[in-house]
Amino acid sequence: MELVCFGLNHRSAPVEVRERFAVPPVRLGEKARELTEAAGIEESVVLSTCNRTEFYLAGNSADEVIAGLRGAIDLGVEDCWYEMRRAEAARHLCRVAGGLDSMVLGETEIFGQVKDAYRRAHAAGATSGVLNRLFQRAFSVGKKIRTETAIQEGATSVAGTAVELAEKIFGKLKGCRVIVIGAGEMSRQTAQALVSRGASTVFVTNRSFERAEELANDMGGRAVRYDDWQATLAGVDVVISSTAAPHAVVKRFHVEAVRRVRKFRPLFFIDIAVPRDIDPEVAQIEEVYLYDIDTLEQLASEARGRRERQIEECGRIIDEELEKLNLPGT
Amino acid sequence: MERAVYLWFLVISTLLAAIGGAMGMRALRHGHRSRSTVLWMGGAFLAQIAFLGIRGEARGACPLIGLGEILVFLAWSLTLIYLLVGPTYRLSLLGVFSAPVVVVFQAIALIPGVLERNPQRVISTDAWRETHAAMSVLGYGALALAAVSSVMFLVLDRQLKEQHLSSGLFRNLPPVRELLVSGRRLLWLGWAMLTVGVAAGFLMPHEDAGAHLVAAVLVWLAYAALVGVAQFRGLTGRRFSLLTVVLFLVSLSVFAFI
Repeated sequence: MELVCFGLNHRSAPVEVRERFAVPPVRLGEKARELTEAAGIEESVVLSTCNRTEFYLAGNSADEVIAGLRGAIDLGVEDCWYEMRRAEAARHLCRVAGGLDSMVLGETEIFGQVKDAYRRAHAAGATSGVLNRLFQRAFSVGKKIRTETAIQEGATSVAGTAVELAEKIFGKLKGCRVIVIGAGEMSRQTAQALVSRGASTVFVTNRSFERAEELANDMGGRAVRYDDWQATLAGVDVVISSTAAPHAVVKRFHVEAVRRVRKFRPLFFIDIAVPRDIDPEVAQIEEVYLYDIDTLEQLASEARGRRERQIEECGRIIDEELEKLNLPGT
Repeated sequence: MERAVYLWFLVISTLLAAIGGAMGMRALRHGHRSRSTVLWMGGAFLAQIAFLGIRGEARGACPLIGLGEILVFLAWSLTLIYLLVGPTYRLSLLGVFSAPVVVVFQAIALIPGVLERNPQRVISTDAWRETHAAMSVLGYGALALAAVSSVMFLVLDRQLKEQHLSSGLFRNLPPVRELLVSGRRLLWLGWAMLTVGVAAGFLMPHEDAGAHLVAAVLVWLAYAALVGVAQFRGLTGRRFSLLTVVLFLVSLSVFAFI
């Protein structure tokens, strides 16, 4: 038996090619079973995410497996596809499951997607000895990489970093109230990230009230007229600001005015505007934590650097685990 | 024979707390939490119970006579409340910060002359006196833990303010809000126990305890003011924490001299 991985991903193919070969999750099992009906293919798992479509195949001969695949699928542009055989294919699967091959290094969503792809193929009867053992080992490698290395530590985007900081200040974000000043894309992403982690109420204010309403509706929040945002400050925990104003929008006296009403509770300011929206003087207020775009970018970049330094260690874990497996076909 | 045994328990307890604290610090330096700190502190707690049990048996009363016994009882109540509160609030790091306090208290008790070597049996006991002493020291345990939690807040606050966020300590400290909530609850708990202790103090025969009771009332009033202001007016986390730490240190030194 020989193992083959045939696929394309975000590095080898643009989105317009990837979308042509994307397989919806509900069809993954069926597709895998169809492939096992092709000549030369004994086992098959189809993995399809927004960043990749990969076929993990096993058969008596790698050449026959590839020929069978070409017969079953019109591969179109050849340059976009990569092909790996035996140990290289096994190592690639472990790298994918561990998030080492992802667009965001170390992301964990892919682990669940690989599990789902395998579960569906297994349920459809498309897997047997080789792929069953390989995927089980890839899952244990993925877990080991997550627990024994720092590959997933620290957020690697501005929005993710802001969420991590909010959690460091407030713990669980359930019940946290957020105000977004300026309805730009970056503030939408950051507010959305906070909402996805439990923030309960989002107020949106913008010079154009229609735009504020639009963004508020998108996030299930409430639009506030631009003249009224200062009153809202008393009841929120997080302020995200990203206006196009050429001067500071939030000044020290705005915060001083609501401190007593807030009973001096912590207040987290995320300033993602350039020029900055929040006067740096605001940071001198004791209960205020102020982070601007440069600091957030720097923290995200440091986290990316820390993750990259873990790649070698992850490679060592993969090699060790695959050596233990001693799988036929690799 | 017995004397040597209780001293050994105190030494063992101090060593276990020191190891727990050191393991916790080491784990932090490597960027993760020490799961074993709570076990080391649990061991230290058992050795404290053994020490206090032997001393209590010898005295025929609650072992709270002299600075040495008070310090060990205080360390015991701090450990007890840490073991009760730490897991509830997921403040696993509290052990790392509590262990040094326990070690310092017990190390002082171990200094020759601090702990009475031959504890005399108490001839007559008074229930109010015992309640006063035990509740006050238990209250101090909670207040000590509130001070420890406040130190943790001050460390985290400084790191967040100065944007030094890459240390293992930062990654493992509980969130700001959790530290403030637990600190406030511990303060309430400590103050409530102190209230019972002070009330019992007025009901015990106090012909020779005038200055002691005045100091107790002043400390109680100071904590009442802090608890009240924090609850009803509100205080910034930094001021609340600084006041909690300073008040604990000041009141502890007041009682060391009275």
